[in-house]
Amino acid sequence: MDLRHTFTVPASPEVTWVAFNDIEGIAPCFPGAALTSVDGDAFTGTVKVKLGPIAMQYTGTGVFLERDEVGRRAVLQAKGKDKRGNGTAVATVVAQLSPDGGGTSVVVTTDLSITGKPAQFGRGVIQEISDKLLGQFVDCIAAQLQSTAVASTGEPSLAEAEAAVAGSTGSGPPPAPSMPDPHTVTMTDIVPPPPVADAMPRPTAPRTDPQHAAELDLGSTVLPVLLKRYGPPAAAALAVVAVIAWAARR
Amino acid sequence: MTVTEIGSPRRRKEDQRLITGRTRYTDNIVLPGMLHLAMARSSFAHATTTAIDTHEATSSPGVVAVLTGRDVADEQGSLPCAWPITPDQKAPPHPAIAVDHVAFAGEVVACVIARSAAEARDAIELIDIDYDELPVVLDLEEALTDATLAHPDLGTNKSATWVFDSAEAGTGDDVAQALAASELVLERTYLQQRLIPAFMEPRSTVVDPTGEQITMWSATQVPHLLRLMLALTLSIPEGKVRVVAPDVGGGFGGKLQVTPEEVITMLAARRTGKPCKYTETRSESLMAAHHGRGQVQRLKLGATREGIVTGLSVDLLADMGAYLGLVTPGVPILGAFMYNSIYKFAAYRFSCTNLFTNKAWTDAYRGAGRPEATFAIERLMDDLAHELDMDPVELRRKNWIKHEEFPFSTIAGLEYDSGNYEAATDRALELFGYDDLCAERDRRRAAGDRVQLGIGVSTFTEMCGLAPSRVLGALSYAAGGWEHAQVRVLPTGAVEVVTGVSGHGQGHETAWSQIVADRLGVPFDSIEVLHGDTQTSQKGLDTYGSRSLVVGGMAVVAAADKVVEKARTVAAHLLEASTDDIEFAEGRFSVRGTDQGLALGEIAFATFSAHNLPDGFEPSLDSDATFDPENFSFPHGTHLAAMEVDTETGEVTLRKYVCVDDIGNVINPMIVDGQVHGGLVQGIAQALFEEAVHDESGTLVSGSFVDYLVPSAADLPSFTTDRTVTPSTTNALGVKGVGEAGTIASTPAIVNGVLDAIRHLGVQDIAMPCSPHRVWKALQDGASKGLGAEEPVPDRVAPEQDAGPMNSSGNLPTGDFQ
Amino acid sequence: MIPSAFDYHAPTSLDEALTLLAQGGDDAKILAGGQSLIPVMRLRLAGPELLIDLGRIDGLRGIEDDGDAVRIGAMTPHHDIASSALLGEHAALLCAAARTVADPQVRHRGTFGGALVHADPAGDMPAPALVLGAEFVIAGAGGIRTVSATDFFEGLFTTAVGEDEILTHVRIPKHTGWGARYEKFTRVAQQWSIVAVAATVRAEGSAIAEARVGLTNMGSVPIRAESVEAALAGCALEEAAIARACASAAEGTDPPTDTNGDADYRRHLATVLATRAVLSAAGG
Repeated sequence: MDLRHTFTVPASPEVTWVAFNDIEGIAPCFPGAALTSVDGDAFTGTVKVKLGPIAMQYTGTGVFLERDEVGRRAVLQAKGKDKRGNGTAVATVVAQLSPDGGGTSVVVTTDLSITGKPAQFGRGVIQEISDKLLGQFVDCIAAQLQSTAVASTGEPSLAEAEAAVAGSTGSGPPPAPSMPDPHTVTMTDIVPPPPVADAMPRPTAPRTDPQHAAELDLGSTVLPVLLKRYGPPAAAALAVVAVIAWAARR
Repeated sequence: MTVTEIGSPRRRKEDQRLITGRTRYTDNIVLPGMLHLAMARSSFAHATTTAIDTHEATSSPGVVAVLTGRDVADEQGSLPCAWPITPDQKAPPHPAIAVDHVAFAGEVVACVIARSAAEARDAIELIDIDYDELPVVLDLEEALTDATLAHPDLGTNKSATWVFDSAEAGTGDDVAQALAASELVLERTYLQQRLIPAFMEPRSTVVDPTGEQITMWSATQVPHLLRLMLALTLSIPEGKVRVVAPDVGGGFGGKLQVTPEEVITMLAARRTGKPCKYTETRSESLMAAHHGRGQVQRLKLGATREGIVTGLSVDLLADMGAYLGLVTPGVPILGAFMYNSIYKFAAYRFSCTNLFTNKAWTDAYRGAGRPEATFAIERLMDDLAHELDMDPVELRRKNWIKHEEFPFSTIAGLEYDSGNYEAATDRALELFGYDDLCAERDRRRAAGDRVQLGIGVSTFTEMCGLAPSRVLGALSYAAGGWEHAQVRVLPTGAVEVVTGVSGHGQGHETAWSQIVADRLGVPFDSIEVLHGDTQTSQKGLDTYGSRSLVVGGMAVVAAADKVVEKARTVAAHLLEASTDDIEFAEGRFSVRGTDQGLALGEIAFATFSAHNLPDGFEPSLDSDATFDPENFSFPHGTHLAAMEVDTETGEVTLRKYVCVDDIGNVINPMIVDGQVHGGLVQGIAQALFEEAVHDESGTLVSGSFVDYLVPSAADLPSFTTDRTVTPSTTNALGVKGVGEAGTIASTPAIVNGVLDAIRHLGVQDIAMPCSPHRVWKALQDGASKGLGAEEPVPDRVAPEQDAGPMNSSGNLPTGDFQ
Repeated sequence: MIPSAFDYHAPTSLDEALTLLAQGGDDAKILAGGQSLIPVMRLRLAGPELLIDLGRIDGLRGIEDDGDAVRIGAMTPHHDIASSALLGEHAALLCAAARTVADPQVRHRGTFGGALVHADPAGDMPAPALVLGAEFVIAGAGGIRTVSATDFFEGLFTTAVGEDEILTHVRIPKHTGWGARYEKFTRVAQQWSIVAVAATVRAEGSAIAEARVGLTNMGSVPIRAESVEAALAGCALEEAAIARACASAAEGTDPPTDTNGDADYRRHLATVLATRAVLSAAGG
């Protein structure tokens, strides 16, 4: 399936490109991912997903196929395999930045292919869930980039954000009592920038509390959500989380 | 001879054990030291396998071995296709375990052999396979262009093209000329959606290699064919292979196959030297057991303004799937002879292109080619009737073969032996209350009722009783169509009937007992029917194509008659009379004009002791017969359906269904009713519920019964069925097949009914299944389009989101559709 | 299919269950009726290592009069709800919906609490519970808390019940004498709802005094059609008027698209079914 998301940020393409490639800043948008290795343009990791009683664990690899600084275009391919052999997910993500007035328009096109059981038994909702999850991810990135663009000191906050991403770096995160288990992601666990909010303005995405997961924006109903294990991400959509590929790069 | 058994609605002998669980299905079989198999299957529809790492699986608890395609590449051969429809038919190699290329999602890539089924399944998860994905081709129109190849090495997706032309065959005129000269030409495109067999018993295989022969028990319809094919495929001497079909829980074509799993189980057993069992799960079955149908039908029907059909041209694209199975390419061809159905056409042309796609392969199922043909012609006739503002029954009456015209040679080259379309139709109309229901439909239409009523008409005939061997030879099918039986009379007078057909729910044990009871004059309960084991029933061609009674039953009759003749000789000798003076009635041989006589049982015992037999007489009454039918049999019927359509929601309800079928003489009316009921439900299911849906990656997304809808008794009304009897003239019993009869006419009857209900609202056609969503959408489109469109184009509705490329049954869309 | 191996405990007290749940953490799963969990395990889409069966805990099953509400134990099977005279009198909508769940076998094993916590968007029990204003009693290590229906269903397969908590009871405020109808649209009898509307109505004379209308499978959570409820207050008991009131049933919904229909069709169905449900609930 082809999924397309766009957003704009009030910063120049140059700044946005830099921030965009600072993966650690974007990493928190996909918590629950654990990096296992990085090697140049390639990396591996795992992600756990729960959707109601369904629990999948994908092991993924990703590689940058293209990083065109001049054309402001990045192409990443990520592949995830469920550890039980329940299927795979392959995502090819193309991010294209272009000037938009004084800011930058970012178009993210994802070609996502999910095979195996989630597709076979998913009652047809895979596309929808993938679309919405990716939308959440993109919204989060957008918010991240927006706050980066607005904040004068992008670096430190991002570095702290990096430190705060529990699990991906292994360094101790700042205490966040209801931080989700870093190795488990749930649809409701899409965590906004971690609680170093002093250095970073509140993102404008519809979230109420950085300590808590973002609302699940499925439908126009916006629901406050508590951190919990039984979140709703589709296993397959989680393969979209194999799009963490670029979020996880160090 | 008093006929008491034939025609009697005898309770079935089989049901005692089937209902009380004293059955022996393949999965019930447990052998000492038996190992269990589980299959790792590709989740990609098209890929090369670059690496398979099995070492973790091999060291998993309870695992004995893991087999990959490379491990068995030299032994596994290629699964057979017994039907090259043209000399230049193309087919890729068909390994049981994929070696380095997978062509459909669900294809076996490795097999785990373990001490328990659970351990085998656990180990499957530990197999690590690297795939390099390849582009998939799913849509038939796309496959035709060869832009993307299902099998790159094959160089094309086109397997074969097969043509029948009445002008060339000398059976009629040239169809292009006939159409050009016609006052009216209807052009239509219909879709036969892909179906998935849902037999009650999932497939299962047990192989025991420890005996003198290798024994395979399998849930199969074709133990004899399977034995032969296993021997050929795996290069095992045929005498060393024994195949047993124990109790088998349904098939309807779905178990007419030589399956990868059967071959793999045999390989595993030979490798380990131990009995091995494989039983599939339902989700594996839906994904990997061969599918049915999958056709794009392009049709042109020419007619006069009075409604006389002048010619029919049929152009098919048929979906083979990823491989050719046992009879895959022949299935659409079986339909080639049936598009003209019960009608007299002057010109006819049929052309079919068989194409490969990256989906599970298709093969015989639920009528195998003939329902597709009947659907097309019966839809066309209804469309024509509507076009001419003529009653659809009257239109058919104008075109069908009249009762006095039988035997009749059709434009397709078949000779129909007997039939009486008038009688069946009149009876059906009467039972249905046709005039009253038409009146109600018209009333509701005039009043603009929310729930509209539609009357669906369908007639059918089919060629069944496969088949005269010469005809099969002419069609290049590898095997013949005869059937074998042996009748033995034991010393105590009990009778054993060995038959080469292989029942999987049809009730053969009962029906054959009835036939033999009448033929030999022995009690019904003294007859034992043996079947399904190639060691016991040493010769046969199994069960499919509604052949068991017409061909197998006739072999039984022939064998029984030979027994009588042998016994007559002995009787004459023992009674010291001439054989001409011996009469045989109700199981007893008597000297004409006297009360001297001997029962068959007494003759049997005398033969057994052989103390006083005629000189040169072999001491045996046991007799074989192999019967090759001289023609197909041609049952027919008229089916009527009253469909209610809720125009607000699109919901379709079958309110009433009447069918009057003529299947010749009836052996057991209760069994016939059961066959018809089952067939009706299957045909209705295609019209309203079933569809195999793939996403754009080629994953089967209707992978469970949550999404692949199979109706239950809760979804359908009781049917009204009746029969007319026009005996067949080509076999002594006068019987015709009934196994597929119910399923052939019901599908178009339903769809015709739905359309009849809402045509006046601008709907020209609805693709099957006629889900509420599709019906509703057609109504919306019809309302916006207005009435009376000149070139009726079928309304094709993709059931899923149309925005995204996630295209589901859009595997069969054509350029005509949006 | 065969599930992967798991440990199984059947505690006899709620405390024991909570302790096991806390110990098991990520790998533990509560087993109620198993009608959703076991199929998922058999397909190996989930492989919990510990199942905690609530079936032997006293006091979790039963339907009792609780003053202004009816108190239903979470382990009460759908069948008991469908056939309960008490609920028939005070919360008929619940009975109506329970009668339509799957088939008799599922209704005898599947539980009210299990269905609610599972929160399948196409499940039948959440919408009636939502519109009846159910109160959910949840037990955890820290004690007992109550969550209202509006806060209970949070998202796709997500409820307010925490990973270390157990739903023990549901209190349904009495709607004594209200008419009810669960209008469920399916293609085959045992199917999940393509769309369903839960309607319960208090009529006064020839008009509807109050109505509650809930939607099943029109989003990731059950939805209360509040604009319809408002329009129905005081609405004449007559089809055209009710249809007008129900015209906004799909407002604010985001229905799924699948092989049974696209979002547009579901939105249309919601309005049609709402009209039929209200009409029927009102006795029309």
